[in-house]
Amino acid sequence: MIRQLEDRTKAWLRMAGLPVPDGESVDTAIGAAAAAARMGGDVILKALVPAGRRGKGGGVIRAATPDEAGAVAEGLLGRVLGSYQVNRVYVERAVKIRTELYLAFLFDHNGAKVIVSRNGGVDIEAIAAADEQSLVTHSIDPIKGLPSWQALDLWRRTGIRGLLLRDLGALTSELYSRFTDRDAELLEINPLAVDGNGHLVLVGTMLALDANAKGRHPEWAADYAETAISASQNPRESKVAAIDASIPGGECRYVELDGDIGLLVGGGGAGLYQHDRLLAAGGRPANHSVTPPVGADNRKLKSVIEAIFDNPRTKALLVGFNFAQMARADIRVRTLLEVIDEMGIDTSKFPIVIRLFGAGEDEARASIAGRAGIHYLPRVASLDDAIRLVVALVAEQMSTTG
Amino acid sequence: MSILIDRGTRILVQGITGGQAQTDTERALRYGARIVAGVTPGRGGEAVHGVPVFDTVAAAQRNHPADASIVYTPPLAVRDAVLEAIDSTLPLIVVTAEGVPLHDIAYIVAAARANGVQLVGCNTNGIISPGRSRIGGIGGVDPGEIYAPGRIGICSRSGGMSAELARTLKMAGLGVSTCVSMGGDSMTGMRMVEFGRLFEQDPETEAIVVFGEPGTSNEQELAAAIAAREITKPVVALIAGVFQENYPPGQSFGHAAALVRAVDDRATAKKRALSAAGAMVAEKLDDIPVLLSRCLRTRNVAAV
Repeated sequence: MIRQLEDRTKAWLRMAGLPVPDGESVDTAIGAAAAAARMGGDVILKALVPAGRRGKGGGVIRAATPDEAGAVAEGLLGRVLGSYQVNRVYVERAVKIRTELYLAFLFDHNGAKVIVSRNGGVDIEAIAAADEQSLVTHSIDPIKGLPSWQALDLWRRTGIRGLLLRDLGALTSELYSRFTDRDAELLEINPLAVDGNGHLVLVGTMLALDANAKGRHPEWAADYAETAISASQNPRESKVAAIDASIPGGECRYVELDGDIGLLVGGGGAGLYQHDRLLAAGGRPANHSVTPPVGADNRKLKSVIEAIFDNPRTKALLVGFNFAQMARADIRVRTLLEVIDEMGIDTSKFPIVIRLFGAGEDEARASIAGRAGIHYLPRVASLDDAIRLVVALVAEQMSTTG
Repeated sequence: MSILIDRGTRILVQGITGGQAQTDTERALRYGARIVAGVTPGRGGEAVHGVPVFDTVAAAQRNHPADASIVYTPPLAVRDAVLEAIDSTLPLIVVTAEGVPLHDIAYIVAAARANGVQLVGCNTNGIISPGRSRIGGIGGVDPGEIYAPGRIGICSRSGGMSAELARTLKMAGLGVSTCVSMGGDSMTGMRMVEFGRLFEQDPETEAIVVFGEPGTSNEQELAAAIAAREITKPVVALIAGVFQENYPPGQSFGHAAALVRAVDDRATAKKRALSAAGAMVAEKLDDIPVLLSRCLRTRNVAAV
């Protein structure tokens, strides 16, 4: 999921002819003051970070004069909001809001859904919980789309009456088309405002793009560079995330936990299963990982292995892959040995259990010959056998080192 | 008998000239699968392991009609490939690609439903009816090492775990009628409960084993069908991913589908729902044959 920053989302909506307030992004206090002076009147300054709930986090502030706008921007720039550093601020002409509505398009496991509510605002969950009638959810048939008459009826069901319905129906239908063309995973308009003249204005917008559709949207390059990498506090996590974002094909992920057994697993069910079973066997995972299929760029797998060895808490490693017989075992083992040698890991003090079968297995087994502490399990071994062994080896290590 | 594919099933391979498709085609032919034609636009007239290649699905269907199609096209070409297969009225379409955009998945799932087509996947490792046929990469080089023919139906959210399940059964002397890797994406064509209903109707399937993960309502739908007595055959479920509940929400550890969205999507809730409905919940792989042997004995049916 790529969360697009608000300035780009608004520019895109403006290009599509949709009602968006005047606004521009700045990266200095002077720029903010100049933008406010150009717009005249009150402006809203918004920190451009890909995090939700910016308003609650103090990332959305009103200013009445250009000087005030400059001072607010000064305070926002460089701050960290939701683990992202604020490098740019969006200056937007303040809208006189008569009514706040809510509109969102999103996916669940049945397909796309639209949610409309006559009560928009900062805390949509709380508002929805307090007044269930005000919120209407509808599953969209992707073949039929969302025609304006159908969208109008959804708004009608929230209790809205009158000519506004006509505008809401047309706008909602149009936004669904944009949501689809854009390959968005989520498009939230909150608030969808009715201004002093009774016109609809898209005041708060949030757009998340489907990373899987990146290949057909070259225009996303800037969004990806800006928002894909979260400023994780853990340098090992950040490093793997950066490599994952910079190299296409396959996925690698590394999440650090507080245990001592490193987990090198695939991305699917077997990884989940082994993590559960490791806990059940009394082991404590030092991390969870997702590694790409063997066909992917090898730097991805390598980055995860390096992170595991780099984690000072890790005392042992479980390399556990399912009995798929498709991936080449030797490539994974060779990469593992490469990292061991490069980082100078003494495997006699760092037990490694490998449960990895498939093509190239003979070569993989041969390549570990003469290396102490690496246990390559025979083909009859189950995932649970590997887990029991690694837990026992860590227990043994603890008892010998006291 | 089996579900979805059997000895007689004629298979079309879309994207047959790609690397993975060629490998799988060769292995499937060796296993006895009836692959009758392949399609790659612009490559009509060629052959892959003796299988004739056509430019379009329609041309392939005119010359060598098939009952099922396996789609190997890259993720961004899946939508068109599936719509082309639906247009040629193929009743079963299996999609292997991982990373198909959400809007495309939503569209092909809806199109398949609207046309009464059985869509398996995306992101499936395939289907195998041991000793009879296979479609996709499932089973790898030597399916016999993993999948023995028998009377247990398997449906797994994870392709890799389907092999672990079948191998666990085989080592306990149990075999498989059909094993379906249903795909791990958050949105899939056929759902777990639909495979469950097919197994229920299959006279040669005596019991069902499912593997589930956090995310989606597949397991809850299956539980509801068991509770409603739509599925009466014994069901053993193994659900992984309980550990995620110990970590702060928002951390995602597996497939996109494993992003925990609501309480009901969690592994523990799924286990509870299945157990309450009357399914047997296994904690580990080795529990599965034990639970099966118990219920198969009470039903007084030989396992193999």
